[in-house]
Amino acid sequence: MIRKSLCFDAKKCVGCYACAVACMDQNDIDVVGDGVAYRFVAHVEGEDGGDVRIAHVSMACMHCEAAECLDACPAGALHRDEASGAVVVRRELCIGCHACAMACPFGIPRFGRDGTMQKCDACYARTRFGYGPACAEICPTGALTFEEVNDAADAKLKRFGRSLV
Amino acid sequence: MNELELKLKGKVPGDDTGIEIRKSVCAICDPGTQCGLDLYVKDGTIIKVAGTKEAPHSHGTLCSKGAAMRQYVYSPERVLTPLRRTGERGSGQFEPITWDEALDEIASKLNGIKREFGPESVMFFSGYAKWARPYLMRFAMDFGSPNYLTESSTCATAMVMAQQLTYGAPAGPDLKNTSCVMYWSHNPSATKSLNLEGINRKIESGAKVIVIDPRVTDLAQLADVFLQLRPGTDGALALAFGHVIIEEGLYDREFVASWTRGFDEYKQLVADMTPEKAAGICGVAAADIRAAARMYAEAKPACVHFSAAPVVHHTNGVQNYRAVFCLIALTGNLDVAGGNRINPASLVHQPGGFPTREREFTCAHRLAGLPERIGARRFPVWARLCNEAQACDIPRQMRTDDPYPLKALFALGLNYRMFPGSQDFLDEVCKLDFIVDADLFLTDSAKHADIVLPCCSSAERREIRCWPMGYVQFTQPAIEPVGESRSDVDILAELSKRLGLGDELLEAGIEACVEWMMEPSGLTVKDLDEHPEGMWVPGAKPPAERKYLDGGFRTPSGKVEFVSSVLEDVGGEGCEALPSYREPAMSPVSRPDLAEEYPLVLGLGARLPMYQHTRTFRLPWTRSLSPDPHADVNPADAAAAGIADGGWMTVATPKGSLTVRAHVTGLVREGDVHMYHDWPQANANDLLDGDYLDPISGFPGYRSSLCKIAPASAEGRGAGHD
Repeated sequence: MIRKSLCFDAKKCVGCYACAVACMDQNDIDVVGDGVAYRFVAHVEGEDGGDVRIAHVSMACMHCEAAECLDACPAGALHRDEASGAVVVRRELCIGCHACAMACPFGIPRFGRDGTMQKCDACYARTRFGYGPACAEICPTGALTFEEVNDAADAKLKRFGRSLV
Repeated sequence: MNELELKLKGKVPGDDTGIEIRKSVCAICDPGTQCGLDLYVKDGTIIKVAGTKEAPHSHGTLCSKGAAMRQYVYSPERVLTPLRRTGERGSGQFEPITWDEALDEIASKLNGIKREFGPESVMFFSGYAKWARPYLMRFAMDFGSPNYLTESSTCATAMVMAQQLTYGAPAGPDLKNTSCVMYWSHNPSATKSLNLEGINRKIESGAKVIVIDPRVTDLAQLADVFLQLRPGTDGALALAFGHVIIEEGLYDREFVASWTRGFDEYKQLVADMTPEKAAGICGVAAADIRAAARMYAEAKPACVHFSAAPVVHHTNGVQNYRAVFCLIALTGNLDVAGGNRINPASLVHQPGGFPTREREFTCAHRLAGLPERIGARRFPVWARLCNEAQACDIPRQMRTDDPYPLKALFALGLNYRMFPGSQDFLDEVCKLDFIVDADLFLTDSAKHADIVLPCCSSAERREIRCWPMGYVQFTQPAIEPVGESRSDVDILAELSKRLGLGDELLEAGIEACVEWMMEPSGLTVKDLDEHPEGMWVPGAKPPAERKYLDGGFRTPSGKVEFVSSVLEDVGGEGCEALPSYREPAMSPVSRPDLAEEYPLVLGLGARLPMYQHTRTFRLPWTRSLSPDPHADVNPADAAAAGIADGGWMTVATPKGSLTVRAHVTGLVREGDVHMYHDWPQANANDLLDGDYLDPISGFPGYRSSLCKIAPASAEGRGAGHD
């Protein structure tokens, strides 16, 4: 069985930041104290045939199946939550060596004032009990969803198909 | 972690965790959105916020502002007790006093001023939230003052006026049944993100989309035709649409012949505005104008999706939107399914598909017997169409005492930064003898009051709201009021008693008022109280089509007025009866002399998704997303001025200058600078003069003036609060 995971559809994202703030609220992130945001929204501007284009990306930990951060951590501060598949950090074990940050290809691990790593845990403490991750639950455009990845791919495939007609 | 610990970490509701979901609404932004809130409450405290899934409008989603509701409710800047000013105005020095002391002092001062100078010398102002406005207007009428006014003196009212002048009442887009939507200035990514899912679905179903906006937006990228026009030239563009539609015979001859006034004059007016001429004025291609005009006129049905303020925030704003609204009638898309449908409001400016007595409740009918309102002589069209006084005229009346002196201000949510030349506005207001401001926070405006009253947030009070699909919600408080704060209506009811206004209904409190207003709907407070999450109103229905067949339009002629009888009657500069195009009062075309020194077009008021006026700057979560004031500049203009992306620059107008960060982006036209308003340390609305107004509506010309930019150091930027 494929577990549900956070899926992102850049075509639907409008960069509204609802996910970023819902994450702060769910995780009680003290952005003026020792907390750092777990979810980031970036705006990317480019050109397409002379027209200016803008796209938005909402990013947090990808919870990779082969998680480089997990392999890199010398302190055992990262583990996989088997029920959800989420890669979870135990800050009390973190030694602040930044090995995870060096290993992560997405630039996700961040460090607060106390020097320990902080990141998204895919709301595993909610999904265990049938609730969705806060970011996906709040998303107004359906860009962020919590579903089986192949279902999300199906929706994109259908959209592509329609675009050909 | 054991299971209970995990659940507590996940904030999972249940008997074991003691976390309960209570229903409320978010009132951080305007009544057009009002999303349903699920407040996760534990031990009387909100520990998490989510959207209400069964809310038919927001279906479980929120925006970044609503998501930050917890920090809004529990901000350390909440006012906890009534305060009496002890220092200079603006010093922020206050002493806590009791509610009894505060209310007695207010009653005695207001009644004293009323005796000496007349009730009209006292102003009653509402900012955000808008929910308490009907109660405040009634209160002002009870007091005998015609000067009930709101921040809508700079927002939405002029858009409504443009529609009243043209076809009598606002006509909203029927998105559900349309086959073409023309978005004339709408950026839902920043203001109504929850609209976008519906727009995407509409596009997938094959509907055509036209977007008109000075900036490239997410919505613009979805459009079949996107017209990126020079700010303030909307009127010329709309007239060119009319030109194409008439020239190519795409208009609804039958409707025009039977139901419009002044078509021949309009036809002559648009004959002159060829797409080629408009292309030169607006800075868009003539071929694109023709394509968009054909697309809108040929799709049946098609609707215009307008927005509250951008198009009317020009010195030619009402006429610009009038030219747009004329197209709805011209193409026969008025009051038909899939077009723009006249839909009367049920509660707080919102249609709900059911009748209420809210208008009667406000006692607006008593205005006729009261002295003239602020701004009535300077903006006679405003006074004729709208029940409020025009707050943009307060500084003039303060300076001149004409037609009478103003002495006191009682405000629910005062925000001086909504007004052009904000500092001048505040300086004049500070000359009043007595100012009361009720607010959640000790804002920069509240700091200038004599008495500050602590207000509740929507989570702590009851309020009634409706949604266009026939849904209504009379909320219950989800938590106890923070500190000694009270609901705005409780404050008015208590004050009414002490002023001796003798208004039994208002003094009986919100339940009695709601019962009275809702009587025609068939719903009682008891019915509403059984559904704290909201309910479908039995028998609520969408507005009928072609209601004009039975009694015409609510214009003087009973027809759609290409030539406005009201404007014809009032006359004067800028009040032409036809929606003719004039340049914005400060543009490179109208003021080439000024443009030599100030070559760039300045647009103030484009929105950022995490901010709503001044309301969420003070919340660390939203502020962390965009901490510094900035303005959007095109790469070519930035390069010419030697300004780097993210660097500091000054934006200067003849009125003043501000230091902000440069956001260098191709999303804005070369020659345009766009800046968000209301920043605590860089208030863009200070860059304009208080007299830079549309002569019809009195609205500020925020979206088009002239400026120059230059590199700056960070030292130039001011400190400030919210």
